[in-house]
Amino acid sequence: MSKLSKGLTLAALVSSAPLALAAEVNVVSWGGAYTESQMKGYGNPYQEKSGVTVNWIDYSGGLGSIRSQVEAGAITWDIMDVYAKDTIVGCDEGLFVEFDFDNDFPAGSDGSKASDDFFTEMPSKCAVGNILYSWNYGFNTNTFPSSNEPQTIQDFFDKDKFSGTRGIYASAMSNLEIALVADGVPAADVYSYMDEHGTDRAFAKLSELCADDGCWFWSGGAQPPEALVSGEVSMSTAWNGRLFNAMVAEKSPIKMVWDGQVLDYEYFVLVNGGPNQAEAMKALQYFTGSEGLAGSAKHISYAPFRKSSLDLIQDPWFEGPDGNLDIMPHMPTAPANTKNYILMNGEWWADNETDVNDQWEAWKAGL
Amino acid sequence: MTNPILTSDGQLLSVKLKKAESHKRRTAFLLVLPLFLFVVVTYLLPIGSLMVKSIDNRELFSYLVNTNDSIHEWDGTGLPDETVYTAFYKDLTLAVANKKQGKIATRLNYEQSGYSSLIKKTSRKLKKFTEGEYKAQFIKADKRWGKTEYLLALQKATVAFHGRKYLTTFDLNVNSDGDIVQIPEKKRINVTLWLRTLLVAVGVTFSCFLLAYPIAHMLATTRAKYANILMICVLLPFWTSLLVRTSSWMVLLQKQGVLNDILVFFGIVADEQRLVMMYNMTGTFITMTQILLPFMVLPLYSVMKTISPTLMRAATSMGSTPLHAFRRIYFPLTYSGISAGSILVFVLAAGYYITPALVGGAKGVLISNRIAYHMQSSLDWSLATAMGTVLLATVLVAYWVYNRIVGIDNMRIG
Repeated sequence: MSKLSKGLTLAALVSSAPLALAAEVNVVSWGGAYTESQMKGYGNPYQEKSGVTVNWIDYSGGLGSIRSQVEAGAITWDIMDVYAKDTIVGCDEGLFVEFDFDNDFPAGSDGSKASDDFFTEMPSKCAVGNILYSWNYGFNTNTFPSSNEPQTIQDFFDKDKFSGTRGIYASAMSNLEIALVADGVPAADVYSYMDEHGTDRAFAKLSELCADDGCWFWSGGAQPPEALVSGEVSMSTAWNGRLFNAMVAEKSPIKMVWDGQVLDYEYFVLVNGGPNQAEAMKALQYFTGSEGLAGSAKHISYAPFRKSSLDLIQDPWFEGPDGNLDIMPHMPTAPANTKNYILMNGEWWADNETDVNDQWEAWKAGL
Repeated sequence: MTNPILTSDGQLLSVKLKKAESHKRRTAFLLVLPLFLFVVVTYLLPIGSLMVKSIDNRELFSYLVNTNDSIHEWDGTGLPDETVYTAFYKDLTLAVANKKQGKIATRLNYEQSGYSSLIKKTSRKLKKFTEGEYKAQFIKADKRWGKTEYLLALQKATVAFHGRKYLTTFDLNVNSDGDIVQIPEKKRINVTLWLRTLLVAVGVTFSCFLLAYPIAHMLATTRAKYANILMICVLLPFWTSLLVRTSSWMVLLQKQGVLNDILVFFGIVADEQRLVMMYNMTGTFITMTQILLPFMVLPLYSVMKTISPTLMRAATSMGSTPLHAFRRIYFPLTYSGISAGSILVFVLAAGYYITPALVGGAKGVLISNRIAYHMQSSLDWSLATAMGTVLLATVLVAYWVYNRIVGIDNMRIG
């Protein structure tokens, strides 16, 4: 062996040594209070237990990055936290690993097998559920005193009774649904209504709301509470955990309204050919186990996807800044919060996203 | 006859000269070679491959080879006959065996919404199909297989290369008769965004010019001591992260922001009627102008620095008014700087992405945000690359026009 190649080999050994020693897993999620709850709930405990470093990476949704990584042959992500529609599209594209569900995931703490323990069937073979969350709305209590509080989803759309700019999600998802319900379509029928009659009625309702700079569009979970507190908007839809976090941890003057909430499931997927696929699978099993999912509920008001995790939750379970709080009444699944709710249909969005979003962007540009 | 000139070692001078020159050329070429390769590898190849992507449909086509044989004989009215369904059954069975049905589903969904679930639903039922009568079985599996629009989309998608994404770029489509038509009005978005992008790029260029000209003039003419401080003021934002600068503008311009607070404090606007300067075109325009300003100031400055102050003095001493002297002497001398700054700012503004995404709101987004959407979210990369190619072409056309009017040799950056 020549001197040069010896030197090169040595250099390669030295540079790869830290990688070989400390196993790591790269997890991509939505940032802010949510990622923090995942980190504290199951990321850090797993790290301590296994010695595997769990790296958390923020993103704002979409499969563009992972698809570029796959096409370029330089994949850096192992686990992703995605919408139902993205588990469907990503699975179809072969970006994610298909699971053999009951073999890949452990039984619940009560002994029931994984497929029974999770609330619903997964939208695709590549998905494993982690939470149930909600697209509900919040308002600034300084703007609307308790004598004149918005209470229903109709109130969100009622600009005469409740003035001020509204914050809504920057994409069509969730907005069409609440618009239809506010306009009188029963919550259970929104998707079948749109299949039959199209989306014009929803857009008409949203036009009423958003005419004359009436809407502000958010794309990151941390934005709605911020805009509510600064007074940029008087009401905004949001992911309920982010509002709860602002109310409890930051004591912001915000109140939530659950009427007409869009209840949605969130999933983990395992990237096909990720840099640490085997380690990532083990981590994923821990994250989505009964204890793991119950653990994240200590830090955010999202409901765990496993029934057995709910049994583990003993209120006061939530670890607030001033001692523990009850968390069950703040879950999107609490009976008081589900009197009138829309169940997000990921398959409908996987089908119609392209079409609807063209119309959505055209609508936004013409406001 | 004259004797050929020889060098000291007895060779022909002309031969020796040629040798020396070709050696020089080789050295020069070798010196440029790394740069040339760098440009080819990191610039021309990726852009070329992206451009090919915009018309390349071979992936989907390869899954539908059997269907391709028969579906193009169908005239596009009513429903195709049994042979098409039989062929498609063959293709889909093969795809399911290779787990490629998902790819077919997403690709076809770009042509016709609903295909994503249709293909998957049908794939699941495929096992139960019996031989023969495939048309009836498909329609029984899902009634959408009996709808002309779905079969038309399939026909359209079954070609190896097509330029239809370029039509989509301008809100156009091909109808069943093969005519180019506009897409339904409620979905037209791209033409609006193209026009808006051009308008913003031209507007930002012009406002940068208006702001930068006096600044550059001041920089070029004040004493070195002050000029240096001024220069730092111009460059400081240049060195600050783009995101930081954009966010600072948000703090300044939003409804509860600094500027509105000051206006309300002095009673210029009422508290309930705070100005909306953010999340719309105003926000995009102001922020982009500030961010791109140095690209106008620096070329102007470098040109103005070379203009001798004696020229203006000479003009005025010969009886010209200062304004006239400026118009006839000074301003024409700065043309090369103006043109260099303008083309720089225009090209950068036309492709601007992050600032409109953050401060643009609903009405301030530009075409590049749409390209990002198709890259990131809809995953229709063919459309994204088609739009990118059109954007590149727009910039090249702008450059060409500019070259015709100003001449590229007159451009001076520094």
